Amino acid sequence: MRITVKYVAALRDRMGRPEETVDLPEDISDSEALIAHLRETDTAAEALAHPSVRLIRNDTIVPRPAPLSAGDTLAFCPPFTGG
Amino acid sequence: MTRIETGILENALDPAAELAEVTGQDVSAGGVASFTGQVRGEAGLTALELEHYPGVTEAALARIAEAAAGRWPLMQAVIRHRVGRMTPGEPIVFVAASAAHRREALDAVGYMIDLLKTEAPFWKRVHTDNGSYWVEAATGDREAADFWLDQMASEDA
Repeated sequence: MRITVKYVAALRDRMGRPEETVDLPEDISDSEALIAHLRETDTAAEALAHPSVRLIRNDTIVPRPAPLSAGDTLAFCPPFTGG
Repeated sequence: MTRIETGILENALDPAAELAEVTGQDVSAGGVASFTGQVRGEAGLTALELEHYPGVTEAALARIAEAAAGRWPLMQAVIRHRVGRMTPGEPIVFVAASAAHRREALDAVGYMIDLLKTEAPFWKRVHTDNGSYWVEAATGDREAADFWLDQMASEDA
């Protein structure tokens, strides 16, 4: 399945790109498997695995692990620092 | 019925004008509490840049204000948050609540600013003369939010 992956703020800098389209193998169905898949080809993706990283799936903040479906947009976010 | 006003501001935030909107609006309100956060000029900071996640941030602010209105009997609940580039002393965030009694108003403001820190997708970037860096989340922020969430969970139990 194909999904859109976004990298926000410090994670955008770390990954060196704001977003990308990823074609996932059949057996990858959640955020944690996606991170493992990304780490196979990009050592920077190690940062996504940190427990403090938050997820926004299709404009909703969701807990990890987040299930994934074709067409989803998943954003990896550093801890929030507003206020 | 609580009047709830939340939103993101791309340009200037005027806390005095925001507070004037909340004060004197409802004769049954005995107290108006507010918090203004402003850019702290420390450690060579020349500017602070606030990034957010459009769409999700607005929904998060509304949800936080609605949760406060559900927890305390408020006449008004207001959250305004800046994004973009700001200089030391400039207001970043304004939170206010009005209620019949001071304790409800004060607690609602504390709840809203504490929850906002950990539940609304904003990210701060510090600019200095020697470059820029992303601000790391403070562990105290998580604890402050958990204080309210634990308290509300124990009241629900």
